[in-house]
Amino acid sequence: MTELKHYFAPTSLDQAVERLKDGDVTILAGGTDLTPQSQAGRIKFKHTLMNIRHIPQLSGITLEGREIRIGALATITEIMEHPLIKERLPVLVEACDHFASDQIRNAGTIGGNICNASPAGDMLIPLLVLDACVELASMPEAKIYRHCMPLSTFFVGPGKTRKSLCELVTGVRIPIPEANHVARFYKHGTRPALDISTISIGIAGTLVDGSLSNVRVAFGAVAPTPTRAAQTEQALEGQRLDEATIDKVAAIARDEVKPIDDVRATAWYRKEMIHNITKRILSHVAQA
Amino acid sequence: MTIAEKKNRVIEPETLIGKRIAKMDAPEKASGRTRYIHDINLSGQLHGKILRSGRIHALIKSIDTSAAKALPGVHVVITAADIPDQRPIGVAKDHFPLKVGRVRSQRDEIAAVAAESEEIAEAALKLIKVEYEDLPVISDPEEAIKPGAALIHPEPHGADGSHEHLKQGMSIAHKGKPDNIAMRFDYAHGDVVQGEAESDVVVEDTFKLHYVTHCCMGVSGMIAEFDASGNLLMYSNTQVPFLHKREFAEYLNMDPARIRIIQPPIGGGFGSKLDIYPFEVICLYLARAAKRPVKMLFTREEEFLASPTRQPVLLTLRSGCKKDGTLTFRQVHTLHDNGAYTSWGATTPFVMMQTFSSLYRVPHCDYHTAAVYTNNPYAGSFRGYGNLQATFAIEQHMDMLAEAIGMDPLEFRMKNAQDAGEVSGQGMSFKSCGFKDCITTAATRSDFSRKFRENAANRKKPGNIKRGIGMASMLHVGGGAKIYPSDGCGTILKMDDFANVTLITGASEIGQGSETVLSQLVCEELGLPISAITVVNNDTAITPWDVGVHASRTTFIAGNSAIGAAKKAKSKILAVAAKKFECAEESLDLRGGFVIRGDSGEVVIELSKLLRNLHFQDKAELVMTTFYYEPPSVHQDKGFKGDVSAAYAWGTQVVEIELDTDTGFIKLVKVTGAHDVGRVLNRLGIEGQIEGGVVMGQGYAFTEDLIMENGIMKNPNFRDYKLVTAPEIPEMDIAFIESMDGEGPQGAKGVGEAPAICMAAAAANAIANATGVRMFELPFTPEKVYRAMHGQTPKLYWKPWRVE
Repeated sequence: MTELKHYFAPTSLDQAVERLKDGDVTILAGGTDLTPQSQAGRIKFKHTLMNIRHIPQLSGITLEGREIRIGALATITEIMEHPLIKERLPVLVEACDHFASDQIRNAGTIGGNICNASPAGDMLIPLLVLDACVELASMPEAKIYRHCMPLSTFFVGPGKTRKSLCELVTGVRIPIPEANHVARFYKHGTRPALDISTISIGIAGTLVDGSLSNVRVAFGAVAPTPTRAAQTEQALEGQRLDEATIDKVAAIARDEVKPIDDVRATAWYRKEMIHNITKRILSHVAQA
Repeated sequence: MTIAEKKNRVIEPETLIGKRIAKMDAPEKASGRTRYIHDINLSGQLHGKILRSGRIHALIKSIDTSAAKALPGVHVVITAADIPDQRPIGVAKDHFPLKVGRVRSQRDEIAAVAAESEEIAEAALKLIKVEYEDLPVISDPEEAIKPGAALIHPEPHGADGSHEHLKQGMSIAHKGKPDNIAMRFDYAHGDVVQGEAESDVVVEDTFKLHYVTHCCMGVSGMIAEFDASGNLLMYSNTQVPFLHKREFAEYLNMDPARIRIIQPPIGGGFGSKLDIYPFEVICLYLARAAKRPVKMLFTREEEFLASPTRQPVLLTLRSGCKKDGTLTFRQVHTLHDNGAYTSWGATTPFVMMQTFSSLYRVPHCDYHTAAVYTNNPYAGSFRGYGNLQATFAIEQHMDMLAEAIGMDPLEFRMKNAQDAGEVSGQGMSFKSCGFKDCITTAATRSDFSRKFRENAANRKKPGNIKRGIGMASMLHVGGGAKIYPSDGCGTILKMDDFANVTLITGASEIGQGSETVLSQLVCEELGLPISAITVVNNDTAITPWDVGVHASRTTFIAGNSAIGAAKKAKSKILAVAAKKFECAEESLDLRGGFVIRGDSGEVVIELSKLLRNLHFQDKAELVMTTFYYEPPSVHQDKGFKGDVSAAYAWGTQVVEIELDTDTGFIKLVKVTGAHDVGRVLNRLGIEGQIEGGVVMGQGYAFTEDLIMENGIMKNPNFRDYKLVTAPEIPEMDIAFIESMDGEGPQGAKGVGEAPAICMAAAAANAIANATGVRMFELPFTPEKVYRAMHGQTPKLYWKPWRVE
């Protein structure tokens, strides 16, 4: 038995954000998180269930100036197969390839993965190291108000974001990487498919003459949110990727994260994996 | 066709045995048309749901069902108080379906509802108010055996402190248990003290085996209906319909003759449906009270919470050998976590002690098990029945002993492996035995010895990927198991006037492919194509008695029974033909749908024509036969000795892994198996069964883990209970050793459980080969492996203990 009273399937962004004004709305896109979470009682439906799948403004993957915009409704499969993403953002394809299973990728959306705000969310780590921004829409008065928020400030806790109840995530914007940009993603779990990360790591930067600059490092499943690692980034910035640096950075990464014990792994093991895999990724980048 | 031509026509011999034959139920299943119990709905049916405890160990102070009863659409709400004639269930009769006075585990049944819809039934459960008084939780079997430990089954007292609120009886549920020992087993042959004195090397280790569960794709369920005359019809996925018919009759205090069980196609058994569980009896109570059919289906979460598990075992093994590689003794102590109640899991020592006493020649063996009550889920029967646990310990010690005396592990095994004709210390008589062939075949095909040496030499070399190869073997019953007064199976065989056969067998199809194999055996005997047969095997009102699907027995027992019935039919047919064509019966045979001359293959008459002659002319006779097969095995004596099976199955599996030392992640690369199956009947079927068993063993070894914390199940879902997924399944090379068992149907032996047994043991040996590190605790998750490699795993030791 649920509190759910209304089902609403808007066909325009206007209709959707207007309905969000009262804040008493549960949003449905792919449903791959919402369905199991509501069944398990972890999410309680609000009065209105709003299916946003018929809103054209939320679809598509497009080049807009110096940015690539991925509509909130883009599925993981669409992202994985899109020529623009394959060419300009291959690290996202890498993350898609480790995302759940084919069935879930066909239904699950990027907007949903962002709003679910899991500390282990597979797409979030590469998006963080790519400096992605989240597009938000709302209707405070009679007109739509849109703004962007850096993904790195979007998450506040497991399942919690800065998005207000009246806002809708309409897409995500990613600046097109400069020349010499490198980005890597690694997801570590107990099996190759259908797994929640034990830890995940994203590392990106500009590689010139063996040195990394504009470094971005993000870790998943080691904190209440997917998180950028400031100390690790600082230790890497401008450094040549020699063995001593890699060892030092891997050790800083291990000390920087503060994971917890849960059914998937202990904190000790997570810290070890952050160390070993950071080291492995950096070694690969150095050799590439 | 002229008579002359007909006489000249010759039917060449051909056989169905060993062919690749698609399972008869495959087209329906593959096309999604199979109607499982979930798809069956009876007119007027209600939906049953159970309220479970949620507390781990507590006294029930009060239950208020009034609000649930008042909910529109609710027909019946019951608690123990509403069923004054409840009788205890389980192997030790130690619990009531609806719990009385006390809950002892998370899954315990408190109340049940039958309502118009599942949603209403669920809403009603939420309206039931239960007051508890929590009791201390015992979640560790080692705590349960400490002096002064809280009792899981103390003598029951009523609310007023009297003992009179329960009808007095002899069961544990009625009179309680003054300690936490659910069952004990003590076995010995030879003299281990002497064995140890003769040993040059002795090793002792403690092994810890974890909780896993069957994860049948089809969740548990049943439908019960009482007709107007009080007869009970059940749709049930039981593996033992005839035993359960009798048992349900007892619980309902009714005549077993008035109970009929129909078994719809099952979505997985693997041993999980060998016992009667509370939900089944509760469903009957609901149907009885509602006077309507009641359907009860588990949710997936409920399937995890309230299904039986494989039994977690703490096991200390002491083994010895001489320098020349001769095994001298084995001494075993185990502590089984029985959970809160007793199901078949407590009796796994029957199988475990066979492996300890008789897998390899061991002159001295001493075995002790205590199965103890805790507040954990209770353990049931599960493919392999204790053998995975026993083999995990033994086969690691085989490698360790070989290493200690500097002998090649393959040579060490060959030196101690049995041959046909031997009788083990426990009295098991190995009439057919392909054990040595299994070992050498698996070793040769996997290039074991070379890889074993090279991997060990590579351990210290640079690179994070280490390869390992490991071997393990197994012994399991392969010709039934004489546990019950009879281990037999009945067959009724009927032929129609078109020479089509209906095989009516007591043996249930639970996905293992038995109906296809039984059809092959019958058609082989009668010289008919497999398309000529229909199997009826799922209705106790029609089929003859069978003890049930367990102990890898169906091919052997039901196969021999089906052959017996077919032989009788054949001899009847040939007698008629011989008379009609004035020749000797012995000169005739059946082949390709014809009666033929045995020496030349010349057609005598079309079989269907002969049958029509028999039926519509002459004495108007039908071809219908019955047969009951009882294997020539014996019951064990009080010391657990005796030749309990008519045949024994052997197998060896070699596991190859790649281990990432940075993460502890293991990729299972290849499994090479060699199984002594007596003879291959359906090659496609047996390959599938072996491959499925390997994957089940792989899950046990590497990924599956039902995580219990203080009596609470932490991962009752497929997100965190990790079954093996398709990309993880390794390359497999499976060979069959055909030892042609003299008693087996066409020489075959049982193989259902065998393929799951060796995997964890072989994997442990592969890890040791790759890294030099021994792991004594399952499963081998990346973190466990990584910890072991970094000295972060404290050495397990459980001091041998036995019930005095």
